[in-house]
Amino acid sequence: MSTRITVEHLARVEGHGGITVELDGGRAATVRFDIFEGARLLEGLVRGRCAEDISQILSRICAICSVSHSLTSLKATELAFEVQVSPQTDLLRDLLYRGETIQSHALHLFCLAAPDYLEYPSAIALAADHPDAVRLGLRLKKLGNSMQEVIGGRAVHPVNAVLGGFGKLPSEDQLIALRTGLLQAVGDCDAMIALIASLPAADFCRSDTVFAAMRSPGDYGYYLGDEVVVLSNGTRETVPAAGYRSLTGERAVPHSHAKHSMFNGKPFMVGALARVMSNPEGLTPRAAEAMRKLGLTLPSGNPMDNNKAQAVELVQDVEYSLGIVERLLRDGLAQERPVEVRPRAGVGTAITEAPRGLLIHSYTYDDEGKIAAADVITPTALNAASIENHLRLAVDQSPDPDVPALRKKLEMIARAYDPCISCSVHLIQKLHAT
Amino acid sequence: MSKPSVGIFGLTGCAGDQLVILNCEDQLLDIAGALNIRDFLMASSDRDAGCDLDLALVEGAVLTKRDEAALKRIRRRSKLLMALGTCAVWGGVAAMDRDADRSKLLGEIYGDLGAGYDSVPARALREVVQVDLNITGCPIEKEQFLSAVANLLNGDPPLFPSYPVCAECKMRENNCLLIEKSELCCGPLTVAGCDARCPGLGVPCVGCRGPADDANVASALAMFQGKSVPREKIAAKLRTFAPMPGDRS
Repeated sequence: MSTRITVEHLARVEGHGGITVELDGGRAATVRFDIFEGARLLEGLVRGRCAEDISQILSRICAICSVSHSLTSLKATELAFEVQVSPQTDLLRDLLYRGETIQSHALHLFCLAAPDYLEYPSAIALAADHPDAVRLGLRLKKLGNSMQEVIGGRAVHPVNAVLGGFGKLPSEDQLIALRTGLLQAVGDCDAMIALIASLPAADFCRSDTVFAAMRSPGDYGYYLGDEVVVLSNGTRETVPAAGYRSLTGERAVPHSHAKHSMFNGKPFMVGALARVMSNPEGLTPRAAEAMRKLGLTLPSGNPMDNNKAQAVELVQDVEYSLGIVERLLRDGLAQERPVEVRPRAGVGTAITEAPRGLLIHSYTYDDEGKIAAADVITPTALNAASIENHLRLAVDQSPDPDVPALRKKLEMIARAYDPCISCSVHLIQKLHAT
Repeated sequence: MSKPSVGIFGLTGCAGDQLVILNCEDQLLDIAGALNIRDFLMASSDRDAGCDLDLALVEGAVLTKRDEAALKRIRRRSKLLMALGTCAVWGGVAAMDRDADRSKLLGEIYGDLGAGYDSVPARALREVVQVDLNITGCPIEKEQFLSAVANLLNGDPPLFPSYPVCAECKMRENNCLLIEKSELCCGPLTVAGCDARCPGLGVPCVGCRGPADDANVASALAMFQGKSVPREKIAAKLRTFAPMPGDRS
């Protein structure tokens, strides 16, 4: 007998998407992670625009990860023009990235994902019975937003990060306020880990998951790096940023749907779990301890562990950011202006780690220094094939034929990826066009 | 007084204006207590997709037939409809080039399948339905949103500035980026409400809030041209987020 499970409009995610599964004899015959977000065509609309306009326009791809889009855009343009920014700029961009990750992970864990585990429809409903838990999440989220405001000039669509550096550097008072917030967050993170560890287990499918993440040259970071590590069954392969198309398939050939977002024929997962998998030795002792408390063991074959990995990264980023802010307060900030940028012909491909995973911006500039071609590959687009794979495995591995229970599992798996559907539209529409 | 029924919706966009609402961390639980939020898909899986609403907050632009149908449904359900953010108020970045050949772009970006997509030229909400209130900004400013909600709860119409960013910039005693540094700053034509956020950081205004009713357009354009900025560069800059004064919209 054939049954259809549909989630017409997935709630508590960013953007517009749904799930359709056709069951045949208890197994998944077809599985679709549907996207019905409109196409804004921004990659086409930026053609002919000056370098200085690009990061502001392309940050609008997504609000929750607008810092990632802005900074990846700046990094791609600076690579194209062979501009080297100062170590201080790199450090502040690193801090801005961590602020975004704290904001995004706190929003996802407390407002989007946690209600599922505790059987509530929303964080607002959850707050009626568990006000302290929700306030804890909101405090962490607010801290991430404060970091984005102080360094980036605005919590959503940062304005202060410009080509070559920053418009205005943070004041000592602002850094002191951030330090106060981060010190409080160290304690909040302990409570957060205890809370996440207390949630009911979620284990709906297992797979030999392939992971892809940027290789951080130094510490565990999101911004600096120019290579992707792909982990598959104990092997590590490295892909340079410029070779990113080997991760996405040939975008110009829409007929090879199944090949999109595959690496050597396999779907792969990007995001917090992929980062922890690829760089466990980069975790601070507190973050490693958090991992133990959460029972997160590597390698992980459970996509729901992405939620635990986000919690580990919250601990990591709070501790790490505190170190950066203390260093800035101790050493002071050099009052430097942005490095001068001379637009010219060139190609730049930048990779970074957005909260949801690997993000790629690749630009070609013409002789006048205007955009001739722009290509943006987002984490949710990279994850699309993996999401569908795990949805399928959850159906096939589920002993429970109960349709409402199965529908909830499917929603939780999709949500665990923290999909950002406004972002994903740049690639995924090709998968499911009718 | 019974709590007003409210729905919060996103059409095509970045969800940044809904995110600003969720970013009101200090007020969020109070807002949720003062309003009866019946339909807010980004935050809650418990939604009533059919109930009548006193107020609908809608962000994003209309970019698909699906968006258009959704917006018309929301309009039928709601006593008041408020456009939230520059995409909803003006069309936003997706409408920066209204003469662009969409089918060509769809083909270039999405391949042969692009032709089959549900895709229509970007429109602001008021090009599709009657809109009662507008809060502009990319994204909206938290304080403007909170004061608008407070005003509506008190039965007062929300007040928004009609003067340009320059007015706020002068109040902050910033050095003028346009006059003193010859940087192409859209402040003279862009509506205030952000406390001159970008010029306050030494970064030129990009016009993300859309045009100001009280701007002196002729004078501003003459000043830009006096800085020897090519005319097409000025036009492209000014049309990034909203139509230029004098454009059809």
